Amino acid sequence: MAASTTETATKELNQRIGLTSDGSQFLTFNLGDEFYGVDILRVQEIKGYTAVTKIPNTPAHIKGVLNLRGTIVPIVELRTKFSLPTIEYTAFTVIIVVVVQDKVMGLVVDSVSDVLNIDAKDIQPPPKFGDKVDVTFINGIGKSGDKLVALLDIDRLLLDSAVKDSSKDLPVAPAA
Amino acid sequence: MSNDFAQFQDAFFEEAAEHLAVVEEGLLELERHPEDLDLLNKVFRSAHSIKGTAGMFGFNAVAQFTHKMETLLDLLRNGQKAVTPSIADLLLKSTDCLKTLIESVKTGAAVDEETVQRLTMDLASASAADSQPSGTSEKKKDGAPVPGRGITRTYSICWTPPDWLFQRGLDPLQIMKELRCLGNLTKVSLDVSRLPHLADIDPEQCYFSWELQLITEKDRQVIDSVFEFVREDSELSIELIETTSEPPTASISAIPTVESDGPKPIGQILVESGVVSTGVLDQALAQQKRVGEILVEQKAVTPQQLEQALQKQRQQESTAQAKKTDTASIRVDTAKIDKLINLVGELVITQSMLSDLGTRFEMNQLHVLLERVAQLERNTREIQERVMSIRMLPIGTAFSRFPRLVRDLSAKTGKKIQLVLSGEETELDKTVIESIGDPLTHLIRNSADHGLEPPEERLDNNKPELGTIRLNAFHEGGSICITVEDDGRGLNRTKILSKAVKQRLISENEKLTDEQIWSLIFKPGFSTADKITDVSGRGVGMDVVKRNLEALGGTVSIKTAPGKGTTFTLKLPLTLAIIEGMTVRIGRETYIVPLLSILESIQPTREAVKTVVGKGELINVRGTFLSMVRLYDVFNLQPEHTDPAKSILLILETEGERVAVMVDEILGQQQVVIKSMEQNFRKVEGIAGATILGDGTVGFILDVRGLLEIARREIAMAA
Repeated sequence: MAASTTETATKELNQRIGLTSDGSQFLTFNLGDEFYGVDILRVQEIKGYTAVTKIPNTPAHIKGVLNLRGTIVPIVELRTKFSLPTIEYTAFTVIIVVVVQDKVMGLVVDSVSDVLNIDAKDIQPPPKFGDKVDVTFINGIGKSGDKLVALLDIDRLLLDSAVKDSSKDLPVAPAA
Repeated sequence: MSNDFAQFQDAFFEEAAEHLAVVEEGLLELERHPEDLDLLNKVFRSAHSIKGTAGMFGFNAVAQFTHKMETLLDLLRNGQKAVTPSIADLLLKSTDCLKTLIESVKTGAAVDEETVQRLTMDLASASAADSQPSGTSEKKKDGAPVPGRGITRTYSICWTPPDWLFQRGLDPLQIMKELRCLGNLTKVSLDVSRLPHLADIDPEQCYFSWELQLITEKDRQVIDSVFEFVREDSELSIELIETTSEPPTASISAIPTVESDGPKPIGQILVESGVVSTGVLDQALAQQKRVGEILVEQKAVTPQQLEQALQKQRQQESTAQAKKTDTASIRVDTAKIDKLINLVGELVITQSMLSDLGTRFEMNQLHVLLERVAQLERNTREIQERVMSIRMLPIGTAFSRFPRLVRDLSAKTGKKIQLVLSGEETELDKTVIESIGDPLTHLIRNSADHGLEPPEERLDNNKPELGTIRLNAFHEGGSICITVEDDGRGLNRTKILSKAVKQRLISENEKLTDEQIWSLIFKPGFSTADKITDVSGRGVGMDVVKRNLEALGGTVSIKTAPGKGTTFTLKLPLTLAIIEGMTVRIGRETYIVPLLSILESIQPTREAVKTVVGKGELINVRGTFLSMVRLYDVFNLQPEHTDPAKSILLILETEGERVAVMVDEILGQQQVVIKSMEQNFRKVEGIAGATILGDGTVGFILDVRGLLEIARREIAMAA
């Protein structure tokens, strides 16, 4: 009988703790010289890089799948996804495990830096970089001290590329 | 239903299904032992439970109908009436009807009102024949319970809550809020006339009453359920004042009738007072037209308009049905869970012993370590078995519907048939049990119709008149076997052969082994029946059996002896979550091939491989040409060998098709736990699922069917 009230209460609570995309805490990580951030509430865990199993006939940025305590988790290579050159994995290379609409996925990044508090007023809408850089997956640019952090829209980033079998993504060419 | 009772309702449906099964089983048994009072009591209790809970949830149609059945059952129980075959038959039919009624509440599907009416009447007249029905308050049947969308109704609700409302912590405001969720609450007026002088007021008493006006698309039942908790001692009246439908003809057969404890249907009164017979009444009822037809006749609407409206109604029904998704649940024996908890406790102890040892480990304690690891292994294995057993249900749940089936088949075919069940306690996976029902039904129909001979023929052949179908289940190795056995005439070799030649399934001078001939009956469209009856003969059933079984990873085999009978043996994996697999290597990748689909593995000679334009590569396996698929090609992998003569070819079979798949090496055979790829990713073509290999990495399980499709497409593209 109290479902409607519970629902509103949950919604309020969610808003208060910032479960929506305007959450104020972000986990930041590096890709090359750039800083990126993801909503901390979407991060399930961070783990060191371990070898993955390649999935046949999937786009290049789908690195493969990993056994995460019995669950099969797909791993996305963010460098490839953002068309950055690939580099050798180091001891700092980590997998950020995130939850996207009930799906658990991993992101390979160069290294994680820290958790930043960014006020809503310090977040600006993504600038138009021009034609060269794709800003589809950027929610906004956050400022913390003198650092600029590109805040990722992981829903769009991961669901768009990983879950849907988009025909635009051509299969990986066989390694010659 | 969009209220908070949804979860309780689910429990009701589950329970009702169980009670219905008890009723049906009991009635079948009663037919054979009509004087068994215990049995009758059992049936009565179950029917009573259905009535009680249905009433509680406001499923009045169900409650009323069950009440009718109960009245008759009560008379039987008191010995005022005897269980005659016709009464048993009527009760069985009523059980079926009750099933559809409950189903209709659950899914919103339309009910055949005529059947309900007729059976209600039959039940009433059966109970009334030589004793008065015990004060039954017959309610008028509600119209088709289709909550019409697009129809708005205005209800006037008068509610005087009980005095104790506040004492029980109930808040009238909640009810108002709940009502507001249903639609537009246009008028709320509070009646304070009962309020006493301030000095006399008992603050814990409720003196108010309300008058409300609600415009909603929901039907009465929904509104009723809002008052569920306060109905006791309440004065509540809900009246329909106005119905407006947006397209005026959209609800022609869904005219909401206000339900009341009003008079009995006129037909029933006439029958009861002996003015007309049931037959005459049925005829009259049959002449009754639906509102839509009458409107057409009076030229109020055109047939086209009617058709459109009806279509709209059907659409609404189907969308309403589509919305209901079944949440799968399972009832587990508490003992199983207790055991599991014990085992987990042991596991925790083992783990703490191990970590204790780990903190101060010295080399001379190695044997202790090994011992503890062995213990851990034992724990893990036991837990695995126990957890798997939770999904296991006795196959009896799938068997329980067959006594009824055989009874009906016996009546339809005019043969005397007895069904002997054994091994009902054999446990197997819930999903397997759910999908095994259909194939078994087809096999039993087949045995009853084709297998068993008519009584005269049986007597001529010195067989007992009563034909027997045996249904047995037992474990064998890692699989489960179910046999369907009849003592009928057996398969007719010449008849099958000639029919197969006639249907061009085989050529006339083909030499076939017995097994090959028997397997012909599984071909789609094949039937040896001389005439098509409504039991079988269309040649669909056996084809379904084979396909369903293959989908479950099982097989079916036939044993038959002319004049003695036929036995179908179904072999199924115990569970769908674990399969036996062959691990193979291509380059540095490991894949798993389901063992059931592997026929053999060969190392071909270079000469055996031929390339045919438009067909890809073919391989000659002892005279038969099979198409060859290079797995590394399909999956874009880096292989060790590209030369078939250096690789291994696995001959795989799926749905009767064979294909040779080329891999680098066979690594071994092991049981693998199937993990879903779709859970976190999506379906990948050619891959049925993933599993965790011994070293903790992920391995993929091949989907042989999907593989074939990819290969075929590539060949088509290359051609």
